[in-house]
Amino acid sequence: MGQRKRIQIALTHVALILLSVVFLLPLLWMLSTSLKPIGETLTTPPKWIPSEVMWSNYPDAINYNSKQLGYIPFLVYMRNTVVVTILCIVGSVTSNALVAYSFSRLRWAGRDAFFGLTVATMMIPFPVLMVPTFTLFRYLGWVGSFKPLWVPAFFASAFSIFLLRQFFRTIPMELSEAAKLDGCSEFRIFTDIIVPLAKPALMVVALFTFMGSWNDFLGPLIYLVDQNTFTLALGLSAYQTQHGGTPWNLLMAATLLVILPILIVFFFAQKLFIQGIATSGFK
Amino acid sequence: MNWTSVGITGLAATLVIGAIVTGERVITRQDRTDRVTVIYWEKWTGSEGEEMRKVVDAFNASQDRIFVKYLSISGIDSKTRLAIAGGNPPDVAGIWGDQVVQFADAKALTDLTELSKVKGLDESYYIPAYWDGYVYKDKVWAMPSTPAAIALHARPDLLPPEAATPEKFPKTFEELDALVEKISVQGPNGSLKLAGFLPSNPGWWNWAWGYYFGGQLLTGDKVTIDTPENLRAFRWIAKYTKKFGSKEVQSFQGGFGNFASPQDPFMSGKVAAEQNGVWKANYINVYKPGLDWFAVPMPYPADRPDLKGRSNLSQDVLCIPRGAKNVKEAFEFISFVQKQEVMEGLCSAHGKNSPLAKVSEKFFDTHPNKYIRLFDQLARSPGAFNIPKVGVFPQISNEMNVAFQEVNSEQKTPERALADAQKRADIIWSTYQKQVLEK
Amino acid sequence: MKKDLRIGLLFAMPWILGFLIFLAYPVLASLYYSFTNFSILREPSYVGIDNYAELTSDTVFHQALINTLIYAVGAVPLSTVVAIGLAMLLNSKVKGMSYYRTIFFLPSLVPMVALGTLFLWIFNGDYGLLNEGIRAAGLEPPNWLGDPAWSKSTLMLISMWGCGQAMVIYLAGLQNVPVSLYEAADLDGAKLGRKIWNVTLPMLSPVILFNVVMGIIGALQVFAVPYVMFPGGAPARSTYFIASYLFDNAFQYQRMGYASAVGWVMFIITLLLTMLALKISDRHVHYETE
Repeated sequence: MGQRKRIQIALTHVALILLSVVFLLPLLWMLSTSLKPIGETLTTPPKWIPSEVMWSNYPDAINYNSKQLGYIPFLVYMRNTVVVTILCIVGSVTSNALVAYSFSRLRWAGRDAFFGLTVATMMIPFPVLMVPTFTLFRYLGWVGSFKPLWVPAFFASAFSIFLLRQFFRTIPMELSEAAKLDGCSEFRIFTDIIVPLAKPALMVVALFTFMGSWNDFLGPLIYLVDQNTFTLALGLSAYQTQHGGTPWNLLMAATLLVILPILIVFFFAQKLFIQGIATSGFK
Repeated sequence: MNWTSVGITGLAATLVIGAIVTGERVITRQDRTDRVTVIYWEKWTGSEGEEMRKVVDAFNASQDRIFVKYLSISGIDSKTRLAIAGGNPPDVAGIWGDQVVQFADAKALTDLTELSKVKGLDESYYIPAYWDGYVYKDKVWAMPSTPAAIALHARPDLLPPEAATPEKFPKTFEELDALVEKISVQGPNGSLKLAGFLPSNPGWWNWAWGYYFGGQLLTGDKVTIDTPENLRAFRWIAKYTKKFGSKEVQSFQGGFGNFASPQDPFMSGKVAAEQNGVWKANYINVYKPGLDWFAVPMPYPADRPDLKGRSNLSQDVLCIPRGAKNVKEAFEFISFVQKQEVMEGLCSAHGKNSPLAKVSEKFFDTHPNKYIRLFDQLARSPGAFNIPKVGVFPQISNEMNVAFQEVNSEQKTPERALADAQKRADIIWSTYQKQVLEK
Repeated sequence: MKKDLRIGLLFAMPWILGFLIFLAYPVLASLYYSFTNFSILREPSYVGIDNYAELTSDTVFHQALINTLIYAVGAVPLSTVVAIGLAMLLNSKVKGMSYYRTIFFLPSLVPMVALGTLFLWIFNGDYGLLNEGIRAAGLEPPNWLGDPAWSKSTLMLISMWGCGQAMVIYLAGLQNVPVSLYEAADLDGAKLGRKIWNVTLPMLSPVILFNVVMGIIGALQVFAVPYVMFPGGAPARSTYFIASYLFDNAFQYQRMGYASAVGWVMFIITLLLTMLALKISDRHVHYETE
């Protein structure tokens, strides 16, 4: 034991640190670029340390274009993103929990066949759905509004149903049966017994939804029209220009501000997150 | 239930309701009620956008009936298409001149023929080659915002004295080749240090090479890629790869910096001459002020003096998408941009030449590009050419890009690459005729 | 019984509606569109199997298809091995684990397209970080971006940065492996390699299957990073993939009917490959008996 174990731990740390460097490269690059004067952003070969640390890039990134638009676009994008993300999380957690409950704890004819079909739908490539979904929302007159972004979240999704069902199945059936003998309705059992017990798994669904909707680019790109309805992920593209005048330093500063909330949430929720996935299991 | 969970539930409910309410309020917000609002989408941000905004402000101040709202939109072309499809397009869209035909074919534009006639904006008001870009199937679909022309840019400090002025610089491809042979520098292991000229730099107009050798991509109603003239152009390109070595060119070009930086190959002295647009001067003024350079027309083959002074034109245009709500007001704004002083101010600020037939001396005298007269002449020369007017040009241009890359990396011979491109273009072309034109 | 069905369906209602509106309808509609000539600005008109007939002779499509398959064959195993390796490292009980976990997950939070310039620099043939390293090792480095023979490998390597999500799922799977199994192996005097081969991997196999299937689906849809890094699939269409071709047809060339046909071929290939993965896994995946 002793020595060999210590060598093993030391080696693990070395490997972890080396890999950390590789995985941190993109982020460090963004951080370094976000603090550079514009002239140093595209040098060849690249410079890691800016000659002058430009903290002012951050306020500049937030205020970018605000003089021209009459409002601060970054804050407007932030508000829009928060609105859409909240609605998506609420919709996704409630709908998926209900459906997963039906698939795991209620017995009805055709349930397992339908669940099989549900899992199979995960194989449908998104691009196949893109065109008809667009024409559908156009028919409803929803293009240009937030609805195409959050309404679908209220109709569950195969991946989250799958994840929650696996978790719900680990809760002993006896709990439900005892409650039923006490005269509880299925809905009461769902809200009072299952939901409180399934908190870690619901957290996982909420987190995945949060990440997906916060970073979603294609949806806003297709459905949002007016600049004051843009979300952050789409708003970032407004920093890029066609003829090479992109202010890379401001773009990177803004990108960092955008991913910061996800970073914080992930850092603090990761234990619960991994626990939630672990107990659901993928089997 | 305890108080904490009541509090959390209440907070969550407030958030959700608040989200729905504010969400819808954002969408329905109106800007001004006292004037007709014209929504104008443009691709420009930064200083180019700032200049256009000045024009918009001037227009808004010039009258009290119409208010133009300027929005810079990234990915303007696809955004505009989607907005038209969604039934909620802007009133004015600033797209690329290359896309006018494609948009017109898709029935995405408002016909401006009558509107422009009333304002006297006709053939005689513009340089013919630019005007040609607004007309498709005998109708006017767009009006210019700023145009451009292309020329050969060279650095006298990298040239021998006998070629270091615009007058002495090579006029024909043969002379250019000889100059390149003389001044290019390769290290002992073959690695390139300085290329006199590289056909693959900057690589933005690979479809156009044949035009400088007397070829064209569209003849009558046929796509003509594997013609002797185009083949001659691609053999000329292959000669450069062979001379320098394909691996050497690739790795040399891999080291080129972004064109909007001092590491741009021309500004950093890796190439002595390159083909580029009238806007190049702007980038030099910003990233390498004080650099000595000059511009001359693109060369021509020695046996074809009739091809002297060819130039590839391109432009940014304003159009009114189909389904726009305020067509008349939108055109008021577009025609304001066409006024000589407005247009000259904008083009000068963008560092471009003017698309108008009449140009003031003041424009030339105060222009930031010292060779602006050359670009103006090139645009007026009979050798000026636009992209072929077909809706499938993007696909055909892609095929030419692929053929160029195949030849440039010595994967295929020029004959083979063009024959393959022709085959694929024929299919694209026949589908286009079947599906779009016959309707 | 009848009441059970009613309640069951009531709870499943959001998904039944979602399934019909956001899956069944679009899938069938795109099948219909694939037999039409259609753009977002024009109504669809029926053209029979024209689109599919054109696909069989469309050399660009064939090239995109082959590129996509090569990419999937390279990227899926590579990122699987990397993700499992990282998860195993993270599962060892050393200090600072929560920091490492966040660090490895970080790149999957960053919109990959924002990093195009960074990757262009890392893989640059002339002065790139990677080639500096290869040269320092005394080897002749390839031209990662400019050489058609290497450009796909570049994308495969880049896909490793995004394996955080899979890694987290493997990590969760590893935490489910009962400690008693390792203790038993220790008693038998098994070495680390044997333990991984005989205990860890079999216990992890259902998770591996899940991630590989998701990986195949993702790899067949690869789009954003090549779209940003290699405009037009340069060099010489070596990085042009099915999803790029679908996107170009639908939104650049205004041929949504044709794009739908491309999408359906993509769907069928995904199905076949997934079934193949399930078939192969039949013999190798170890399920815990409940």
